Amino acid sequence: MNSLLDQSSLFLQQLVNGITLGGVYALIAVGYTMVYGVIQLINFAHGEIYMLGAFLAYSMVTVLGLPFLAAFILTILICSGFGIILDFIAYRPLRKAPRLAALITAIGMSIFLQNLAMMIWGSQIKSYPRDVLPEIFSKTAWNVGDVTLSWLQIFMLVITIVSMAILHLVIHRTRIGTAMRAVSQDKTTSALMGIGVNRVISFTFAVGSAMGGMAGILVGLYYNAIFPTMGYIAGIKAFAAAVLGGIGSVPGAMLGGGVLGIAEVIGAGYISSEYRDGISYAVMIAVILFKPAGLIGRQIGEKA
Amino acid sequence: MDLERLGKHPRLFFLGLGLLAILLPWLPMGGSTNYVLRILTTAVLYMILALGLNIVPGFTGLLDLGYVGFYGIGAYTSGLLAIHYNMSMWLILPLAALNGALWGTLLGAPTLRLTGDYFAIVTFGFSELVVLVIRNELWLTRGPMGLPGISPPSIFGHPLTRDWEFFYLILILLLIVLVVVTRLQDSRVGRAWFAIREDEIAAQCSGVNLIRYKVTAFAISASIGAMAGAFYAKWFKFIHPDMFKFWESILILCLIVFGGMGSIAGTMLGALILIPLSEVLRAVLPQGLFSARYLIYGLVLVLMMRWRPEGLIPFERAQARKAWLAKERLKI
Amino acid sequence: MKRIACFLIAWCLLTGAAWADSIKIPVAAAFTGQLASFGEGIKNAAILKGEEINAAGGINGTRVEIVLEDELCDPKEAATVATKLANDPKVPIVIGHLCSSATLAALPIYRDAKLPAISPASTNVSIGKMSPFYFRNVYKDDFQGLFLAKYAKLARGFQKVAVFYEVNDYSMGLMLAFMKEAKELGIKVLGTEAYTSDTTDFKPQLTKFKMMKPDAVFIPGYAPQATLIVSQARGLGMKIVAFFGADGLDDDLMLKNPDAEGLFVTTPFLPDKAGPQAAGFIKAYKAKYGKEPNWFAANAYDGVGIAAQAIAAAGPDRVKIRDYLASIDSKEKAYKGVAGNTYFDKNGDCLKDAFVKEIKDGKWVSAEKQLQ
Repeated sequence: MNSLLDQSSLFLQQLVNGITLGGVYALIAVGYTMVYGVIQLINFAHGEIYMLGAFLAYSMVTVLGLPFLAAFILTILICSGFGIILDFIAYRPLRKAPRLAALITAIGMSIFLQNLAMMIWGSQIKSYPRDVLPEIFSKTAWNVGDVTLSWLQIFMLVITIVSMAILHLVIHRTRIGTAMRAVSQDKTTSALMGIGVNRVISFTFAVGSAMGGMAGILVGLYYNAIFPTMGYIAGIKAFAAAVLGGIGSVPGAMLGGGVLGIAEVIGAGYISSEYRDGISYAVMIAVILFKPAGLIGRQIGEKA
Repeated sequence: MDLERLGKHPRLFFLGLGLLAILLPWLPMGGSTNYVLRILTTAVLYMILALGLNIVPGFTGLLDLGYVGFYGIGAYTSGLLAIHYNMSMWLILPLAALNGALWGTLLGAPTLRLTGDYFAIVTFGFSELVVLVIRNELWLTRGPMGLPGISPPSIFGHPLTRDWEFFYLILILLLIVLVVVTRLQDSRVGRAWFAIREDEIAAQCSGVNLIRYKVTAFAISASIGAMAGAFYAKWFKFIHPDMFKFWESILILCLIVFGGMGSIAGTMLGALILIPLSEVLRAVLPQGLFSARYLIYGLVLVLMMRWRPEGLIPFERAQARKAWLAKERLKI
Repeated sequence: MKRIACFLIAWCLLTGAAWADSIKIPVAAAFTGQLASFGEGIKNAAILKGEEINAAGGINGTRVEIVLEDELCDPKEAATVATKLANDPKVPIVIGHLCSSATLAALPIYRDAKLPAISPASTNVSIGKMSPFYFRNVYKDDFQGLFLAKYAKLARGFQKVAVFYEVNDYSMGLMLAFMKEAKELGIKVLGTEAYTSDTTDFKPQLTKFKMMKPDAVFIPGYAPQATLIVSQARGLGMKIVAFFGADGLDDDLMLKNPDAEGLFVTTPFLPDKAGPQAAGFIKAYKAKYGKEPNWFAANAYDGVGIAAQAIAAAGPDRVKIRDYLASIDSKEKAYKGVAGNTYFDKNGDCLKDAFVKEIKDGKWVSAEKQLQ
């Protein structure tokens, strides 16, 4: 405990833990940040889509007996469809209503979905069967001194980075991406320019929810625990990450997730594990109050 | 029941309801009087909480998701003062309200310049931090061990223990809060709040000091929440951090959305319907479904926003209504 | 209209049930929600005992009706349930509650209504002194924490222990008692870390523990988190560290986790260490529910048994029942139940044996070394 070597390997291990956790936050944060960028709505139900992703894959593997890869892809597709439906039935009718109405609807959907999951799957913690992944994933990939890194952690990080990179390309290099950016700047003008605003919003929800669902499965695998309230706390932290990075920006979500994950782990490891969840709340409040644009993002907070 | 009409003549309706409430403990109920009284005491407690919350989203149009934080602050102020200083409830209630107002001002002053969504999320973070502090500062709150052994309130040396005594006590508190809230609504302050809600920029141009009026609203709302918490601690004689979870904020928000945001009569009706409903659901729903009764609250929020955003009893002010209609017309 | 209809429904439901000719013994615990798995054993065993009493002719000829009251371990729900029971004249005694926070919320209501209650599972230390009407046939947290410290030192020879507790009353009560006794016995507590019930990522805290190189990690929490903790610790390379916990880990959930092999827990009830009176109970429980009874079941079974004995001896009067229960105050007068002998001290608490069991080849077996 006392030697410098021990201290530094402790720190390194915590850093590894923090980056993995941050990757998860980043994946969820993308959904918040994209939706907020386009329609200025905090989609509280996004955390529940993440939870549903974990449960859907669980049911496909255990009840339907699908191979994991099939379950993984199917779940992501279903989740993105789910995002579109959510927007269609809950948010689209309120597009012109006061923003308070849409926010309350989002909270209502979140509660509804969480309790629906509780009715379907029960409130106890479930875990994926042990043989769901090839054995290699639970093996240690890297082990220097006391620092360990598993293949699953590497797999998760790779997936996170690759999907973020693809998303970034989609937003900046494709037609639909350009449309998204246009809609997020000015809906009315975009509509006048011939952009199908609702189609773009649906696409945004689909992509965000797909990422959320994927995060759900990865987290379920990594921690081996899925339960109906998992989306609540992860959703809040991911939102904090999105705010931290600068809401509306995909690289910002990535950065925010990473910073928040590391801050949380270092905080729990070196300051106080009792106040671990408080760290994200405090970071979130501080960013909103003192640097509302986030680390990289455009100014928010001036328009009612 | 013609709710539109009820919104216009709430006085008569609530006078009748009040009379019924006063008589209630003495009506024959086959031995379940105390059970009914306890549920109704809970309902009235939530009426007070809802009236307090209503000031922020209802009157000024800002979403406050951290209301339960003030409720918790009030409850712990009350519990700690009662246990350590053996203070009388008549001192505790105003002190708790003051403490709530203090925290409301501290939180409100820096955050109320934020726009709606960001304000909502900051209030949420605040209430979670309050619960975390209550949970972890063992030296002060005993944390998750809870705070048992809070003495019951007493009047002229007579300790209150019976359910009807608490029921009357909370009716009195409700009356006080009701008077305060209605007077505020009809005052200069109230008009300033409505102006802010309808259009911040226009209000500012008309000389309304936005921050000052918003902070006032937030502090008053917080103090009502804290007072309700103080009563709650004295009534339950035991408080625990789990009682002040985020769910409570949502539940109270649900009450005012359901009843009619901004409308005092609606807010009260919302609590009077939804709180006993939970008990009815316990009896009616099969066991597995009872724990999922929040599902219904979630649905209430979604459906009300979609089909009847003005709630059961719409906010009754003619000019506000006109403004709302004008806004609607603009959208079309 | 809706409101009036709701009241009418509630009214009928509340008053209607009072007419059946039987003695109600309500069992209040969490039967749904996150802690439902603990409530399940209580529910099953109480129903079983009720059926057995009725098959033997009831209590002095009157049928017993076991009424289940679900309070989700929520203090507020528990208080409402308690008011309902306190005002039902057919209820002479309550079995409950499960969680200590629920018990503490219900306690003032039972006390004011002079309704005696026996908790089969609430171990919080402060309960006993607060009401003359509260009894429990489960030991307190401080006893269990003390016992575990002794066992860890004397039977297992642990010198350096780390404590990983959940932020709740049960876990922290255990932790504090354990630490106090550990200090006296000379066990070095290297560090304590906390987690909350919705945590899934325990790695930051476990990484700290790993660097401290303890002999064992004490987890005074519940099984759903403990199983994750054990797996994540092994994943971090803590291969030889022993894990142990208290009765909250006494859950079949732990058996599904191969990483938990060797983990040991305290329990108030061991099927193979239980007395001869337990054999019939274990057999009947297995026949009816298809699994072994856990300690929640055993304590609830005894709780209903004590209640029935008290009603039979003292009649349906609440105060007389309380006086009868309070008179069971020595080993000689003890109620001989399936989970050992129960007698109460002046606070209504009881002294009971604790046993240790461990996971071996994916099954619970009683530990070779016991402290007696």
